[in-house]
Amino acid sequence: MAPLLETRDVSVHFGGLAALSDVSFGIEPGERLALIGPNGAGKTTLFNVLTGQLRPSAGEVFFRDRDITHASVFARTHMGLARSFQITSLFPQQTVKVNALIALQGTKRRRYHPFRYLMKDKEMQAAAQELLEAHGLWDLREATVSALAYGLQRKLEIALSLASDPELLLLDEPSCGLTTTESAEITTLIKRLGSKITVLMIAHDMDLVFGVADRVILLHYGKIMCEGTCEEIRANQLVRDIYMGSRHAGPGLGKR
Amino acid sequence: MRRERRSLVEVGLPVLVIAVLVLVLPLFIPAFVSSLVTKMMIYGLFGMSLNIIWGYAGIPSFGHAAFFGAGAYAAGILILRVGVSNFWLNMLLALVATAIIAAILGVPAFRVFGVGAGAANPIYFLLATIAFGELLSRLAIALRPVTGGSTGLSGIPEPDLGLGFEMTSGRYYYLVFVMLAVCIYIMYRIVNSHYGYALRGIHDNERRMQALGYNTWLYKYTSWIVAAVFGGVAGVLFAYYGGTLVPNNLAMVTSDIAFLLVIMGSTTTFFGPLVASVVYVGVEYLASLYLPDRWPLIFGFMFVLTIMFMPDGLGVWILRGWRRLIRGAAA
Repeated sequence: MAPLLETRDVSVHFGGLAALSDVSFGIEPGERLALIGPNGAGKTTLFNVLTGQLRPSAGEVFFRDRDITHASVFARTHMGLARSFQITSLFPQQTVKVNALIALQGTKRRRYHPFRYLMKDKEMQAAAQELLEAHGLWDLREATVSALAYGLQRKLEIALSLASDPELLLLDEPSCGLTTTESAEITTLIKRLGSKITVLMIAHDMDLVFGVADRVILLHYGKIMCEGTCEEIRANQLVRDIYMGSRHAGPGLGKR
Repeated sequence: MRRERRSLVEVGLPVLVIAVLVLVLPLFIPAFVSSLVTKMMIYGLFGMSLNIIWGYAGIPSFGHAAFFGAGAYAAGILILRVGVSNFWLNMLLALVATAIIAAILGVPAFRVFGVGAGAANPIYFLLATIAFGELLSRLAIALRPVTGGSTGLSGIPEPDLGLGFEMTSGRYYYLVFVMLAVCIYIMYRIVNSHYGYALRGIHDNERRMQALGYNTWLYKYTSWIVAAVFGGVAGVLFAYYGGTLVPNNLAMVTSDIAFLLVIMGSTTTFFGPLVASVVYVGVEYLASLYLPDRWPLIFGFMFVLTIMFMPDGLGVWILRGWRRLIRGAAA
């Protein structure tokens, strides 16, 4: 099967610094692929290239066999790509429900409608209820987002990325800064996503990686050092040295 | 259902009361006061139009007078130089002219200087907006045969509505009231529409909006034009109101008024600038009576006092008090 998303020799240079060099990989439809690596390995840079926030210095990105290297961020969302952010990225002055409504109309034509009340759009209201109920946030719909606890904000963060009904979901450290219980909830949530959604995620949380991923890629100094299944990665000496840190206490130490 | 009724009392009641009050007011007050109220309404519309981009989309502008003045000058030129006497036609043509100017200026404003996600620093955008106003006012000075140069245009007659009656300044009050009511209704629909909520999203988090599929550039650009057109309406009404236009109507000194109205009225309420306009025009009138030489000082004081004692603005203050009153009465 042709990969859903593919990069070919993607390089990004910031001045003299090579943040990414010749990164080539593909992700199959329905796959769960985890991207790991120490801080500064280029994971987020790669994400920014995939979502269109950053143009690569060299190389191409293909989505469903279409060259999207120069497509804008919003155009990619309409093609079926969605992302969450490592640093929670919501609409803090709006209520939870308005957050959901704004997210849901992003890929609908009516987002340009300048005269019809959003709040009286029954179809959108129903969609918002469905989305928020699925993430256990419906009871908090009238709460202002800035007043929400961090764990709930993270949940909303993921809910918003799912609002466009994406084919490929890019999760940037979905469990970043969460407690063990909360992060277990996120793991369950990602597991529950149907096989129609392909997931590529950056994660430091090895429980999340080994609990969810079909395949793992280790990025180090902007290069793909190795890739394989969870078992292979767990057994790989290189991964231990670079990432888990043979001399350090355990996984997750590099967590921001 | 219960919520709908509550919002009917909360929003509908004060709107109705104020509207009726403004309508019957000229019967009880001297003509010069109703002329002040006319000015309050015009400036209120000017402030509210800036609030569309500033309060909702998060795009501040120091050059909103460019569009106020463009509307005013377009109307003045159409009446005095071209000979369009019908008010409605004049309004329409002036607004088209304003929209075109906004569309042209919006390209460098958002493409070159930029504001929001991906832009270097909003200060460049702000400086550019100042420059637009100054540019247009210089143009108004330079194009003497058309615009009357630095003395400006004067002798704009009372508007001809084409309805077969003479316009007087007393009747003009009602015309301004109707225009304001229509504009408020349209603006209210816009800021609460699908489009309006997208603007609020851009205000809060533009990067996320892009990731959600919004072409945020297009939203910013179009809201800039929308705000300009409503500013243009205020400008046309102003041209008929005073009958005289000067290049300063396009420049920073006039932009400052809209800026103050939005700060004083609050960027987070829809009606705030309108309330601020009542205070502003009142203070301006009193100052012209008692301290005519100290106007810039008083103007500055209004800025400082607002920021010191009411940083949220009058609108928020009133809204809070009103809600407390309503809740108290209901309980």
